[in-house]
Amino acid sequence: MSRWARIGSTLFVLLLLLVALVPGWLAPGDPLAIDPAEAFQSPSPAHPMGTDESGRDVLTRVVHGARDSLVIGIAATALGMGVAIVLGTAAALSPRWLDAGILRLLEALYAIPSLLMALLIIAFTGPGVGPAIVAVGLSTAPGYARLVRSQIRTLRHSEMLQAATVLGRGTLLRVRNHLVPNALRPLLALITLGVGQAVIWASALSFLGLGTPPPAPEWGAMLAAGRTYLHLAWWMSLFPGLAIVVVAAGATMIGRALGGKVNAA
Amino acid sequence: MSALISVQDLSIGFASDTVVQGVSFELHAGQCLALVGESGSGKSVTARSLLGLSGGSVAAKRLSVLGSDGRKLSDRQWRAIRGRQVAMVLQDALMSLDPLRPVGREITDALPHLRSRAERRRRAEAILGEVGMDDPARRAKQRSPELSGGMRQRALIAQALVNDPLVVIADEATTALDAQLTALVLEQLRAIKESGRAVLMISHDLAQVAQLADRIAVMRAGRIVETGPAARVLSDPQHEYTRTLLRAVPSGVPRFTPLSVTERHLPVERAEPSGTPALVATNLGKSFSGHQAVDSVSFDVPRGQTLGIVGESGSGKTTTARLVLGLQRPDSGSVSLLGEHFAPRRESARRALRQGLGAIYQNPLGSFDPRYTAGALLADALSRGRTRRVAGYRAQVSGLLEQVELDPGLIDQYPSQLSGGQRQRLAIARALAPQPAVLVLDEPVSALDVSIQATILDLLDRIQLETGTSYLFISHDLSVIEHMSDTVAVMHRGRFVETGPTAKVFGDPQHQYTRRLLTALPRFR
Repeated sequence: MSRWARIGSTLFVLLLLLVALVPGWLAPGDPLAIDPAEAFQSPSPAHPMGTDESGRDVLTRVVHGARDSLVIGIAATALGMGVAIVLGTAAALSPRWLDAGILRLLEALYAIPSLLMALLIIAFTGPGVGPAIVAVGLSTAPGYARLVRSQIRTLRHSEMLQAATVLGRGTLLRVRNHLVPNALRPLLALITLGVGQAVIWASALSFLGLGTPPPAPEWGAMLAAGRTYLHLAWWMSLFPGLAIVVVAAGATMIGRALGGKVNAA
Repeated sequence: MSALISVQDLSIGFASDTVVQGVSFELHAGQCLALVGESGSGKSVTARSLLGLSGGSVAAKRLSVLGSDGRKLSDRQWRAIRGRQVAMVLQDALMSLDPLRPVGREITDALPHLRSRAERRRRAEAILGEVGMDDPARRAKQRSPELSGGMRQRALIAQALVNDPLVVIADEATTALDAQLTALVLEQLRAIKESGRAVLMISHDLAQVAQLADRIAVMRAGRIVETGPAARVLSDPQHEYTRTLLRAVPSGVPRFTPLSVTERHLPVERAEPSGTPALVATNLGKSFSGHQAVDSVSFDVPRGQTLGIVGESGSGKTTTARLVLGLQRPDSGSVSLLGEHFAPRRESARRALRQGLGAIYQNPLGSFDPRYTAGALLADALSRGRTRRVAGYRAQVSGLLEQVELDPGLIDQYPSQLSGGQRQRLAIARALAPQPAVLVLDEPVSALDVSIQATILDLLDRIQLETGTSYLFISHDLSVIEHMSDTVAVMHRGRFVETGPTAKVFGDPQHQYTRRLLTALPRFR
C-alpha cells in the first residue's frame, strides 16, 4: 500500500464521517422538500446532480442518505461480528460434539444465499432501518463465525496460550485478554471489507422496497425510484449508484491497507 | 597447490551499510575452513558471495571461485557454478525439503542435464547410499515427513553432493540439532573433506568447529579478527574476541563459573538443600496413540538446585516438561509442588499453586502476546492478568528489568523488536514476576548464539544464587546441561536411563546410552 493510497483512504474516511455527521454542511437544503415546478431538472449549477420526479435536489438526498447507509453498514457488520465471535469462540472451545453441532448449524445457514436469508428475515419483521440491520447482520454472521472459529482453534494451542495457563490465568481471562483480540486482528481487514458489502446489501434491500421506507433519502431506494424514469432522467439513478460504488470501493481500499499492515506486523 | 577459492579484500555492502570489509581467505582441496562469529558478523553473507548470492554490492581485489573471477561472472555463469561446483548444505531439514515430493526427486532437481528418469533415479539412489542411508531405493521414493530427523539430514547432504561439487559450504548446518544428529552431520562433512573436496563451515560455535576445521577465521562486525590453524586458534587465541568466544563454551566449565566476560564473579557459597524438595515427580507416564512418550519417570528437584534432563529430540523431554507444568494430564503418576499435590488435578483447584511454578521456552516470542509491550507483559504478570498498564507497577517492573539486566528504555518496545537474547531475558523476568519456587526451562538457550547463550546462563546462575529458585533444566545440549546441573537425568525413549550427580554421570557414565551420547560431546579444553 503506497503512502498516497493511505492518505487517500484516510481523507475518504474523514469526508464520509463529515457527510454522515453533518450533512447540512455540504448540502444545506431539505432532502424532503418537494417542488413540483422543478421536477426532472438535469444537472446544473443550481442542482449539481439534478432533481427527481418531485423536484427534490438529488445532491441533497445523496448527501443525507450517507448516514443511513453507513449506519446500516457498520451496525450490521458489528451485529454479524458480535454473533460470530460468540458462536465461533463457543464452537472452538466446546467439546467435540458441541463444536460439530454448531458447525453443522453454521454450514446449513451458510448454504442459504445471504441475500435470500436477509429477505426471509425481513419477511418476518417487515421493512425498516432496524430490520435491515438485523437482516444483513445475521445473514453475514455464519461466514464470520467460521473464520473466528478457525482462528481461535489455531491460537488455542499456541505457546502464548500455554504461557498464560502456566501463569495461572483462568479461562475467562485467557479468552478475553488473548484469544479473542488476537483472533480478530487478522480479521480486521475482512471486517472493513464487510462494511462495504453490507452497505451494498442494505441498498439492495431498499431497492427492493424492504429497507428504509420512502420518502427518506436512501441510496438503494433512490436508485429504485430513478429506474422508472431512466429514459427521462438518468441522473436520478446514476448519482446514488455512484455513491454506493464509492463507499464500497473505499471500504475495500481501507480493508486492503489494514490487511497489509496486519500481515507486515 | 593452488587454492580452489581465493578471496582477497572482500567487501560487501547493502545500500549505505558495509557488512563485510577487507575479508581475505583461501580454501584448498581436502581442507576445512571455518568462519566463526555471532549472528550479524557477516559470515553467511561472505559464504553466499561465493555463490553469487550475497544480494549486496560486492567489491574485492580478488574473488576467485575455482579459477573463475567471481567479480565478473554473469548470472548465467553463476548458475553453472552453483550446486555443481560449489554446493551448499542447507540448515533446516524440516523446512528445506518439500513435504509433498519424494526425496529422490528433491535430490535430482539439481542435476543439470536432461537425463533419463532411470538415470536420475540411479543417481539419487547412489548418492543416498553414499551418505549412509540404508535401503536407498526405498528411501528415494519416500517423502520427508516419512523420514526420521537423521535421514532428512542425510538427504540434505545428498542434495548438496549430487553433482559432485568441489567445494561444499555448510552454513550453520549443525545448529539446533541434537548431539547425535550433529555428530552425524560432522561425520558426513569429514567424509567430504577426506574425499579431497573442500569444506567451508559457517558456525557460531567454536566447540563444534573444533572437531572438523583445519583453519579457523574468527569474524566480528564484518571483519576477520583472527585467523590461523585450528589447533593454534583454540589453544592460544591472540584476539580478545576469540578468547570471549572460547570462554562462552560451557563444556567442562564448573557450575557458577561465569561464561561471559561482563558477568562479575559469583559467590559460590550455597546452602545445602533442606526440607521438602521443591518439585517431586513420581512414576510419570504418558502415551500418545500407543506410543509411550514418557515411561515411569520419577525425580525430585531440591530447593535451590538444578536438575538437568538431557536427551535427543523425541526422547520425551518436552512431554515431561508439559506433564510437570500441568499442560497435559499424565496417564499415570503424579507431580507435587512444594509438598502440595499439583498434577493430575483440576485446573481451578491448582490455579493458586501456579504462582510457584514458572516456565521458560525455547522460543520466547511465541509465548508473548504480540499486542503487549515489554512493560505490559510484566504488568500483566504482576497483576495476574488484571491490567496491562505499567503505571501501578512501575517500581516492580523496573525491579524485574534490573534483575534480568534489561535496559529500562526497552519498556515500551514490542517483543518482536527485541533481539533473541533480550527476548529471553524478558521471558525470564516475566516468569520471575510471581516469585516462583521452581522454573521449568525447556531448551532456553538452544536458539541463541554461543556468546549470548553464555550471558543468559550466567544470568540464570545469578538468579538461582540470589533467589534460591529451583530449576528443571531441559536441553539436548550436553555441554549446557553439564555446566548448569547439580543432578543430571539422561532420557532415552521416554525413560530415565541414568540419573546422578553431574560430575559422576559425565565422568563415569554407567549406562551404555550415556556413554554413546558423551562421545558426541565436544571437548577441546
